[in-house]
Amino acid sequence: MIKDILKYSLSNLWNRKLRSFLTMLSILIGITAIFALISFGQGLNSWIDGFAQEMGTDKVFIMPGGGLSNAPGTSNIKFNEEDLDFIRKIKGVDEATAMMAISGKVGYKDYRDVYPFIIGLSTESNEMRLIEEMFGGIGIMEGRGLKKGDVLKATAGYSYTVPNRLFKRELSIGSKVAINDVEVEIVGFYEEVGSPTDDAQLYLSQEGFEEIFDIEEFEYIYMRVAPGEDPSMIADRIKEKFRKYKGQKEGEEDFTVQTFEDILETFTSILLVLNGVLVIIALISVVVAAVNIMNTMYTSILERTKEIGVMKSIGARNEFILLVFVTESGVLGFLGGLIGVILGAGFAKIGGMAASAFGLTMIQPDFPCWLIAGCLIFAFLVGSLSGLIPAIQASKLNPVDALRYE
Amino acid sequence: MKSYYFKFVLTSLKSRRIRSWLTMIGIFIGIAAVVALIGLGEGLREAINSQFGFLGTDILSITASGGFGPPGTGVVDPLTDKELDAARKVPGVEGVAGRILESGKLVFNKKVAFGYSASMADGKSRDILEHILNMDVARGRLLEDGDSGRVVLGYDFYEDDELFGEPIDAGDKVEILDKEFEVIGILEKKGNFQIDRTVFINEDDLRDLVGRPDDEYDIIGVQVVENADIEKIQASIEKELRKIRDVDEGEEDFSVETPANVVESVNSILLGVQVFVYVIASISLLVGGIGIMNTMYTAVIERTRDIGIMKSIGAKNSTIFVLFFIESGLLGSVGGIIGALLGFASAKGFAFIGKLVLGSNLISAQISPQLIIGALLFSFVVGSFFGTLPAVRASKLNPVDALSQRK
Repeated sequence: MIKDILKYSLSNLWNRKLRSFLTMLSILIGITAIFALISFGQGLNSWIDGFAQEMGTDKVFIMPGGGLSNAPGTSNIKFNEEDLDFIRKIKGVDEATAMMAISGKVGYKDYRDVYPFIIGLSTESNEMRLIEEMFGGIGIMEGRGLKKGDVLKATAGYSYTVPNRLFKRELSIGSKVAINDVEVEIVGFYEEVGSPTDDAQLYLSQEGFEEIFDIEEFEYIYMRVAPGEDPSMIADRIKEKFRKYKGQKEGEEDFTVQTFEDILETFTSILLVLNGVLVIIALISVVVAAVNIMNTMYTSILERTKEIGVMKSIGARNEFILLVFVTESGVLGFLGGLIGVILGAGFAKIGGMAASAFGLTMIQPDFPCWLIAGCLIFAFLVGSLSGLIPAIQASKLNPVDALRYE
Repeated sequence: MKSYYFKFVLTSLKSRRIRSWLTMIGIFIGIAAVVALIGLGEGLREAINSQFGFLGTDILSITASGGFGPPGTGVVDPLTDKELDAARKVPGVEGVAGRILESGKLVFNKKVAFGYSASMADGKSRDILEHILNMDVARGRLLEDGDSGRVVLGYDFYEDDELFGEPIDAGDKVEILDKEFEVIGILEKKGNFQIDRTVFINEDDLRDLVGRPDDEYDIIGVQVVENADIEKIQASIEKELRKIRDVDEGEEDFSVETPANVVESVNSILLGVQVFVYVIASISLLVGGIGIMNTMYTAVIERTRDIGIMKSIGAKNSTIFVLFFIESGLLGSVGGIIGALLGFASAKGFAFIGKLVLGSNLISAQISPQLIIGALLFSFVVGSFFGTLPAVRASKLNPVDALSQRK
């Protein structure tokens, strides 16, 4: 029976091609927009997840001041070697390392100077493993990483290998750049992170950083907690011990301890809220489409009043009539959803390519199965629910009146 | 004749009450969304612009190029007395003053906050800085030469109890980067989140506190003489600084800006976001338009016989076209009127809720008469645009075929 109803619905829709097409058009536009928007939110989410997985959730950061509110290198509160030693000895801390950071001037040949962040990394072998983990799977793509004894040598972010992104010409292994007017040799390049700020960074050994910037203090301290320990518990312990060590009272700390998970959560939730707002705005158009479907169904029921009378007079029950019309509007919604998903995927791909062109490879659409299925089911539900009221009216028609309708 | 058209159209809309209503609902949802979002967007822009509103039009600021962050971040070639003197000598400049900005922590009532301190120069330069930021105190007094160990705070420190549990007032003692200072004044509220949260310290004090060399500045403020051509002065300062810093035009490692330039760059970012949101919101208008088209096509099919009769008794193609065109335009404009009212109400409602929840003026509705008129015009245009094709089809019907069409 369902097969017959489907056939009947499709042939009715086919008979009113123009109207069916316009109704479908109205729902597919909204589905296209929603699908594309969510796929970007989803892509960003999985980028973050992938990063988190590589990095592991056993990382804790200590930052100066109230958290990530300062631009690197602008804080007047810094950490030193003794602080790092103290942190290292706290129970539950497996390994700790510190980073120097400041924004500096980088010159190459006669091209216009750029001002990226310069990072000073430790080259002690045990700390280097932790640093590698911190980079979240982003490894050296060409050349080599920094090693003990490197002073005026640097590794560079991905963007330096692309012409016209930072400098007009790309750098290669052995290129000499000037960091704050000190000549430094490039020994390696990192893989692409996907965010323009990170991909523009230069990395020096801490010895090299001291030599160029004359800064011996650290901006951030990173650590891995010992296996089996709860990172947020360790973070609390570090906060308390480090506060006492620095002679500060509770609530007056000039540093912030956060687990990697907390930072990620804040970041992700902001993204999700922004994405959600856009999706809600796009949803308005689906509401309008639902109104259109309802309208189309009212019209089509009016036109087929006589037909309904005939069906009823030869024994069709109310539920059958209801099912016929709900199926018809559901099919309209489903077809609109199907085309919408396909178009949405296309638009999202184009948008993703545009983002890559600007070095934003972190913004790429992702099409999980649940999203595709969800959009299809949603479109079907919107269609059948908007057809429900007209269909109920149709099912309740009095067969005698309906037959007489002219 | 024309009023007869309208009567005719109204009758046919009324006879299909449900359909006309549904079609209009489609339009008014779209118009309401667009009006509400534009209203809120403009309100946000107004709120942001008003943050800079207290800045005079007779001032310029000079900063050296550096990294991302407040002025002075990552600067390799900082501004020095050389630049200060050069800018002072440019004709039309009333006075100049350099200042440094430093981040730090402030402790009061056993609570800590992180923020920025700005330096105040001595002598005539102090007057210039006070003029540039339009400084005046709400409590206590402003800093003077020789006020070592004293600070003036932005209004937020006095107003916001949550920051430190209790307001800081003139006479209180605070700790800045672990050194004790006496608060001698609270600035008037500026409505700018930066100024209202800044600590003002005499320059010598701040340099001692953070160990900055004596002749380095993060930002140089310039006041021009009254009624001077500020753009010309801006260009002359740029030229002088290029000479001193030995850079070519287009390769400057510094910038000279008016407050208007700053507001402009903020606005252009905001505009990009706004346009994106509006585009997504207008999708629903497009969908509403398609609804009108659909309704009109249906109306043409239903009234094919009527059209045949009208034509056979002498109605011209253009008359038929106008009839249908008016019908769709009317659907659009009535939908638009309801939509504009609804949008107005929901924007105001959102702004009200936003104010209750956030307690700030950042979310406010700014609905201008132009916006309402624009929305109405636009809805009429949408209605008639999407009604054009069906109306053309109706007008081109062959009277004989139309008459012979069975219902």
